[in-house]
Amino acid sequence: MSEITNLVLSIADNKQLLGLRYAEWATRAPSLEADIAAAAMGLDDLGHSRVLYGCLEPLGDDPRGPDREADPASLCALPYFDEPWVSWGQFVAANAVLDTAFSVMIEACVNGSIEVLQHRLRKMLAEERYHFLHGRSWLRSGIEKGPLDEAWREAIEWFGPPDGDTAALHNKGALSMGPAELRARLEERLETSAPKVAADWKGWDPRRRRTRPGAIDERTFGMLRGLEEKRFAPASAQKQA
Amino acid sequence: MTEGGVQYKRVTGDAVEYEVYARKTRGEPLHQVGSVVAPDDDLAAAYARATYDEERWIEMAIVRKDHVIELWAPGEP
Repeated sequence: MSEITNLVLSIADNKQLLGLRYAEWATRAPSLEADIAAAAMGLDDLGHSRVLYGCLEPLGDDPRGPDREADPASLCALPYFDEPWVSWGQFVAANAVLDTAFSVMIEACVNGSIEVLQHRLRKMLAEERYHFLHGRSWLRSGIEKGPLDEAWREAIEWFGPPDGDTAALHNKGALSMGPAELRARLEERLETSAPKVAADWKGWDPRRRRTRPGAIDERTFGMLRGLEEKRFAPASAQKQA
Repeated sequence: MTEGGVQYKRVTGDAVEYEVYARKTRGEPLHQVGSVVAPDDDLAAAYARATYDEERWIEMAIVRKDHVIELWAPGEP
């Protein structure tokens, strides 16, 4: 798997999981407007993930194998999405920090040298503007420290180690920013400094871009494969399947 | 809404109403398509886009309702 397809697959998987987790809050947010925003942002990110998956083939190397139907750990998503969120603070931290971290990486792709990414990902940045406004506004209202620190830690780990693939892609010109620039850009956009994070690069998995083992819960994995929908299908449809 | 000692108060007391305006073509004027309630301009923009984005608008704008200067109202001369 090439460095760039690994990165694009990671952005796609993370956006797919982010979209699903957003959607889970479409009836649980603190106001009707926030419910609707959660649903709309969920749809946006699921759509973005489809565009990103569609970039893998033109990049010449689709790394998705049959294990993605059987093994939840085959997905390249962050630990933050492994379990459904139980607090609004987790939603806001993901919305403000992780969603913006993905946007900053997309910005680096759009301003990099790979044509298919330059063209196909640009529109996402316009749509992500509203995710950013939503996340930053709620962040300013104050949330608990735990999820915020965790989101920052995972964002910085996701950008990659100083001498890893992101740095190599930056050196080649494929990305307009390396790990240090990505972190600085994220801090600039959120108008805040990242908490002190001592990343454990020895335990970093370059394929999944995370330091912790684990995987998404079985129900979410079933939903991704359409198994949850089958549970509610009429008996006649189940026989045909 | 309170979670873990954090009070989320973005919805009721300090929220204000924003009118949402949009148009589909350059030839038509902006017209009101609805309203949202939010505590600040950023969140109002995010809510307006999420709530009223179902059509192919070429322009959308929001205005704080209390910034609208009323000249006259129904029933007034």
